[in-house]
Amino acid sequence: MSSRTEGYADAALAVARAEGQLAAIEDDLFRFTRTFEGNDSLRMALTDPAMPAARRISVVEELMGGKALPASTALISAIVGAGRASELPEIVNTFLEKAASERDHEVAEVRSAIPLDESQQERLAAALSQATRKQVEVKVVVDASVLGGLVARIGDTVIDGSVRHRLEQLKGTI
Amino acid sequence: MLAQIFVLAAEAGEKVEASNPIIPEIDEMIWGAIAFVIVFVLLRWKAWPAIKKSLQDREDKITGDLEHAESVRTQADEELKGYQAQLADARNDAGQIIEEARQAAETVRKDLIARAEADAQAIRTRASDDIKAASERAMADVQAKVSDLSIELAERIVQQNLDRATQIQLIENYINEVGGTRR
Repeated sequence: MSSRTEGYADAALAVARAEGQLAAIEDDLFRFTRTFEGNDSLRMALTDPAMPAARRISVVEELMGGKALPASTALISAIVGAGRASELPEIVNTFLEKAASERDHEVAEVRSAIPLDESQQERLAAALSQATRKQVEVKVVVDASVLGGLVARIGDTVIDGSVRHRLEQLKGTI
Repeated sequence: MLAQIFVLAAEAGEKVEASNPIIPEIDEMIWGAIAFVIVFVLLRWKAWPAIKKSLQDREDKITGDLEHAESVRTQADEELKGYQAQLADARNDAGQIIEEARQAAETVRKDLIARAEADAQAIRTRASDDIKAASERAMADVQAKVSDLSIELAERIVQQNLDRATQIQLIENYINEVGGTRR
């Protein structure tokens, strides 16, 4: 992890704390980053050095406007406008880890084919906390490629219970 | 002596009156004998040494020529022997060279045959390996395609059969399994 990534993550954390909406900003940045990672066209547009910064920022504002806090939009716009869109996932992950670490928690990125309700997220967080013996916060990404079940990544640990994973295992045995 | 002979001859000439046509006169015989002796003496005194020397020279020359001829013949014989020996050596050398050339040619022929056989064997082995590898690749490709198609088919079946209730059940199972394990 570079010092620049750390710097952006620390700055975002400071802004979120100053706004007093750390959890909501975490969710906004997490969701936008997962969308950014999963959409090739968006990723190519925001990382295109030939595209003017104002145009990149307007794309971010179009996508996030009304769906996210202004502070979240401003943070993503600042990163994209500075030409650091390619480092966005790393910056946001560091930001999430730092925020969770402040609460003595760790972030579990969970991928699911369908959205999880509050109860499921709470029970999943409790189960992951019990399994890893750490306080875990769950961030859910809806990913149809999972097919069914869940995939949780906590740091370097991946707990894969997806149908996709089972099919891949089956493929290996054929 | 000569005067006595002359006197005797004169007296004898007085006594003989008729001469015989076959037998010469005594004085002729005497004079003839004297002339013969004179000629003999002169020849013996002057000519004989020259004749003898000439004969000796001739003899020496002939002897020298014979010796020279003998020497030349001997030398010729020796040279002939030398040439014959050289010829024999040359024949031996030629035979040896031919034999060596034949052996070298035989060695080269055997090497070429061995190399050709080795090359042919290598080509056969390589071709066999290539065929085997291609067969294995084809089999692996077929297996991979069968595997991909099977998984693709399974995915479609799973997608069609994974209704919301099943999805929720899978999520619940995951939560229960993860909650029951310690890492």
